[in-house]
Order: sequence, then C-alpha cells, then structure tokens
Amino acid sequence: MQTVTSHTSQRGVMTTSQQDTAEKAAQLLAQIAETRSRQAFSELFSHFAPKLQAYGTRQFGNEQTAMDLVQETMTNVWHKAHLFKADKGSPSTWIFTIARNIRFDLLRKNKKRKDDISADELWPILAEQNDNLDDDYALDQDILLQEISHYYGQLPDAQRIVVEKIYVEGKSQQEVSDSLGIPLGTVKSRTRLALKKLKELIVEHD
Amino acid sequence: MIKSHPSEAILYQYASGDLSASMTLVVGTHIDMCPICKRTVCEIEEDLCNKHLDSLVETICAPSKGAMSKTQCDQMLEAIFNSQAKPAAQREDLISLEGRRFNLPTTLAHNAHRIGEWTHLVGKLWRAPVDLSDDGQTNLIYMEPGAQVPEHTHKGQEATLVIDGVFNDEHDAYYDGDFILLDADRKHTPRTATEDCLTLATLDAPLFFTSGISRLLNPFSSLFFR
Ligand SMILES: [Zn+2]
Repeated sequence: MQTVTSHTSQRGVMTTSQQDTAEKAAQLLAQIAETRSRQAFSELFSHFAPKLQAYGTRQFGNEQTAMDLVQETMTNVWHKAHLFKADKGSPSTWIFTIARNIRFDLLRKNKKRKDDISADELWPILAEQNDNLDDDYALDQDILLQEISHYYGQLPDAQRIVVEKIYVEGKSQQEVSDSLGIPLGTVKSRTRLALKKLKELIVEHD
Repeated sequence: MIKSHPSEAILYQYASGDLSASMTLVVGTHIDMCPICKRTVCEIEEDLCNKHLDSLVETICAPSKGAMSKTQCDQMLEAIFNSQAKPAAQREDLISLEGRRFNLPTTLAHNAHRIGEWTHLVGKLWRAPVDLSDDGQTNLIYMEPGAQVPEHTHKGQEATLVIDGVFNDEHDAYYDGDFILLDADRKHTPRTATEDCLTLATLDAPLFFTSGISRLLNPFSSLFFR
C-alpha cells in the first residue's frame, strides 16, 4: 500500500516537472517569436541541444553529424518559432519533428543527387500556410472549362463572380474567399449552386 | 468516410522518418485527408519524442562525456544568430487535366513542382510522373469513367491513395482518402464505373501483366507506370 502511494506521488512529481518544462519552453518560444530574444533562445538551446546531440549521436554514430543535426534543428527553431502552436502539441514534440526532418535530410545527403527531395517537402511542418481547409478535392464536377464559359453569364451575379474567379482566373476556393472577404463555406455553397445551375443549363441546351 | 488506412507500423515508420521518400509522400497525403491517422501520428510523435529527447531529463544535470563544451555552445549560437532563414516552401494547390481541376492535399501541394506532364496511356488512363529522385516509381494516375487497368501483379509493393473519386478492384471499392497497400503476387484489376478517379500511386518494382493480350504489355510495363 505504501509503495503504491509513494510510486504514484513520484510519478505525479515527474509529470508536473515535465509540464513545467513544457510551459517554460512554450513561453521561451513565444518570446523568441515576438521579440527575437537571444536570451530566451540561449536558454531554450541549453535545454534542448544536449538532448538533440544525444539523439543525433545514437542515430548517426558520428559526433560531427550529430553536431550538424543540433545546429540545423536549432537554426529552424530560431527562425520558425512563430510557427509553434501550443494547442497542437508540446514544444519538445515540435522540436523533435524538426530534428526528425533534419535527420532525414542528413541521411540522404551522401546520395548527392541534384534537386533531391527535402524533408520539408515531405513533412511540411515549417510551411507558413499549412492548414488544409478544403476537404473536397475535385472542383469541376464533370463540367468542362469550355462549356462553362458559354453559360456562366446566365448565373446570378454572386455565383457568377465566384465561378469566374475559380474557373477563369484559376483561383482556389480559399483565395476567392480571401479576395472577396466572404467565408469559405459561402464560396463552396455558391460554387455548388452555380455548378448545379450550369448542369441544368447545359442539359437544356444539349 | 475513409475505411482503408495505413497500418500502425507504417504510421510509426512515417513518424520516425524511416519510410522511403515516395512512401512518405503517399502516407503523408493520406494523413492530410484522414483525421484519424493524423491523431495517431501526433501520438506516435509524442512517444518518439519521449523516447528520443525527453527521456534525457535526468542526465542533463550531469554532463556526459562528449557533451558540448561552453565554447562549442557559444560558437553554435553565434552561427545560428547569423544565419539566414530558409526561403518559404513553394506550393501549388491545383492541378488540371482535360478540363478537370483538382485541389491538392497539403503534402502533395508541396510537391506539385515535381509533377511532370500528363500523358495519355492506353484506353481511358492518364499518367503524370512525380519525380522524387527516389528508387520507387511514383505517379498520379487518372482514370476516366469506364477505365480499366489490365490485370497485373507486382514484383514489389504498390501503395495507392485515392485523391478524388472512386475505383474498384475484385476485392473492394475505394473512395477519397482510401490507402491501399498491395504486396507482391496479389493480382488485381483496378477499374472505374460511372465516376472518374484520381489516385497517387507508388511502386517499388515494375508491374507484371498477367491476363490475355495485356501480357504483351509486359516489356512496356516500366514505361507504363514509371
Ligand atoms: Zn487514415
């Protein structure tokens, strides 16, 4: 009974200290993002550099490559701190995924291929715009571009403008939402209505 | 509703960075489309971080041998502060083919510049290569309604992801987001019915056509799905 209690409380302490560390690290990242504080970065560095070095050494079995991993990972942390989102996970997990990407690149480096794929393309975790707002991957609903141009003039203005921007100017639904200042859902529903109407028009005239 | 997902073992290798580039692309694109696998991968990344980084909490106070010296730390900090940020990643959210336009999931959007020209294959099949400078062969395959890929087996593994639409083989029907992994020697005949289908497929060895006249295609199989 006593052992169980002490074991539980020990775990409790561990978790709290890990949580404290996470909160502290999140604060430092916010400071780096907002004020480019070198002081805050140095503090974060002294916490994570030894961990990254140990990870690198185990992965590569090579001191120099391990140091490259530390430097490249922490360079990304310095420049991309604003991309850390506290609601999406802990700071150390975020830093780990950056290190995972750097490891991937370092492992492929010796292949020396021109235009080789980089981990940033495969795991775009450091992309500025990374939200996948659209869950519908087909835009055309079987209607050919040429056919649309004949008929879209007959649509109500609100729908016609959306259709013009998407099918004539080649904008994405998100871009149309941004440029017209209307919600993405409205763009989608206007597109859907317009396409339905177009289909009817095309069938009528066929 | 996506019903066909990568195994947990594959997701684990994806999160660890141990899959090939082409498989990482296909699995990553599935994850963009699949909230369930996205959550699983987040959990796996937390576990990996625990194992690789956080577990060192105790040893940090007592520096091990080989740890960075104060001078090394200062030099590295200096280099980091003097470094330039990498240019923002390029992405392209749309591709078009024959008047059809598709919105690309995030991971694929970041590789859009690697997508080559569309070429018309036999029948109602189109192909655009995705150049990952990798050993596998990765392609976008577009099947018009009523298309059929000749029956074939693979020497290696084939992973297919439905980006949009639906296709069938003799085992099942596959919709948006479904991830299908076929091992060597499993015969299948993908086909579309009334809907068209855009898939992303990667193959780590050439296809072998097994039925009737399409056996004649074998010498060209590397051309066919390269
Ligand atoms: Zn999934």
